[in-house]
Amino acid sequence: MFEARALTKDYSVSGRKVSALSALDLSVPKGAFLTVVGRSGCGKTTLLRLLSGLTRPTSGCLEFDGSRTPRVGYVFQEPRLMPWLNVAQNAGFCIARRLPSVEVERRVEDALCLVGLSQFAEAMPNELSGGMAQRVAIARALVLEPELLLLDEPFGALDAFTRRNLQQQLVQIWQHRAPTIVFVTHDVEEAVVLGQTVAELDQGRLVATHDIPLPYPRDATDPSVNFHRRAVLDRLLKADHVRQSQTHIRRA
Amino acid sequence: MACAGMMFFWQWMMLKLLRGSAAFLAALLAWAAASASGLVSGFLLPSPMVVFDALVELVRDGSLVRHTAISVQRVLLGYALAVLIALPLALTFSLLPRLKAILEPLLEFLRQIPPLALVPLLILWLGIGEAQKVGIILLACFFPIFLAALGGISQADPKLIEVGHSCHMPPLEILLRIILPASLPAVVIGLRIGLGYSWRALVGAELIASSAGLGYLIVDAENLARTDIVLAGVVVIGVLGLIADMLAKAAIKRLAPWINANAELSFV
Repeated sequence: MFEARALTKDYSVSGRKVSALSALDLSVPKGAFLTVVGRSGCGKTTLLRLLSGLTRPTSGCLEFDGSRTPRVGYVFQEPRLMPWLNVAQNAGFCIARRLPSVEVERRVEDALCLVGLSQFAEAMPNELSGGMAQRVAIARALVLEPELLLLDEPFGALDAFTRRNLQQQLVQIWQHRAPTIVFVTHDVEEAVVLGQTVAELDQGRLVATHDIPLPYPRDATDPSVNFHRRAVLDRLLKADHVRQSQTHIRRA
Repeated sequence: MACAGMMFFWQWMMLKLLRGSAAFLAALLAWAAASASGLVSGFLLPSPMVVFDALVELVRDGSLVRHTAISVQRVLLGYALAVLIALPLALTFSLLPRLKAILEPLLEFLRQIPPLALVPLLILWLGIGEAQKVGIILLACFFPIFLAALGGISQADPKLIEVGHSCHMPPLEILLRIILPASLPAVVIGLRIGLGYSWRALVGAELIASSAGLGYLIVDAENLARTDIVLAGVVVIGVLGLIADMLAKAAIKRLAPWINANAELSFV
């Protein structure tokens, strides 16, 4: 789907240069489900923003298959629904006025059905629960029929039950529509339950990628899932530890 | 359908009136009691019945309708002009920050001046006819509408705007489909505050130099020592202001149901 080579993004925060992503090499095949995990501020969101074209890299390159930009669907941390539009209008927000209205209607109907909100097409955002609102946001990304679906901690603010529900729904959507998915999370368990491959980021650097050859649907309590969770967590903690001791040495 | 809508509207009005009338009734009783007890002179504070008689008399000879019509006409004209200037100007300022930087200090200066302080100049420039009254109303309600629109546009949630960017929406579409609707709650507050300001400024203008209108009715009655007519005029002004605000709220509810029309003006 895409290949990142020495991908680097620097920001300037009150005059100081901060490297959000440094020399990232990553190759993701078409139709893959990649989860990106790391502590907050490790460059996860920056990676998504680069992939979606919301921002440009400082250096390095990002190449897509066939060297053309794919259709991208983006799901943010918060639902970000337009409060003046109902559920159906919000779901069709990105394609309304670009495609014929019959086509918009068809895609919105399909997407709302897929996220289980067909009954709520007329509801307004302020009438929805957090989980429902986030499902509308997913539907809004799905109507674009994305080749690349980017999700930025989409279930972070949801309770454990709703979160599990939506995780399963997302896996079904992936199996049904087969987009390439890049899913960012700070929750190692979520990363392992969802991803075919888990990419571990620390301070803008790729620590490792970890393949998870387990069948779907996966259960977080399954011992084999737990095994992979431990492995990912251990490596992240080690990276953290190494970095901290390095700073100590530098200070000394 | 239209009929059902009207029914709903009247039911809603009746309910509002019932709930709101309790305090009015109490004030009326206190007023009547004060007059009847002889504590205050009937000249300084005529009893409610006397005021009511004056009101009936004004209605009967047609002067109330005439003065009210003139006042309402002035408000509508001045308010409409203010809206027509303020909203496009606010939009222009948001699109051209440099123009805004140049003109903002001047506008800030003008904003500090109460419109009534400009009455002498306006009389010299525009005479004592309609243009002067409309000018005062325009000055009075321009700034609340303009500043609210400017604030609303500049404070449109950047997270919503990013949704537009994420699906590669062109800037004009982002403006029309995200920024303008997002600014509507703030604009609506400005429109309602502006309506109240325009009504007050009008009566002020009519008190100073006028030959017709509710303000004139009051000042004319004062010259004739008719406190009952003064009070009748005050009551009419208050009631008309209330009706205008209720109509504005009903319009908001219908056009933009996602805005909480009742909560947003609680600080005024």
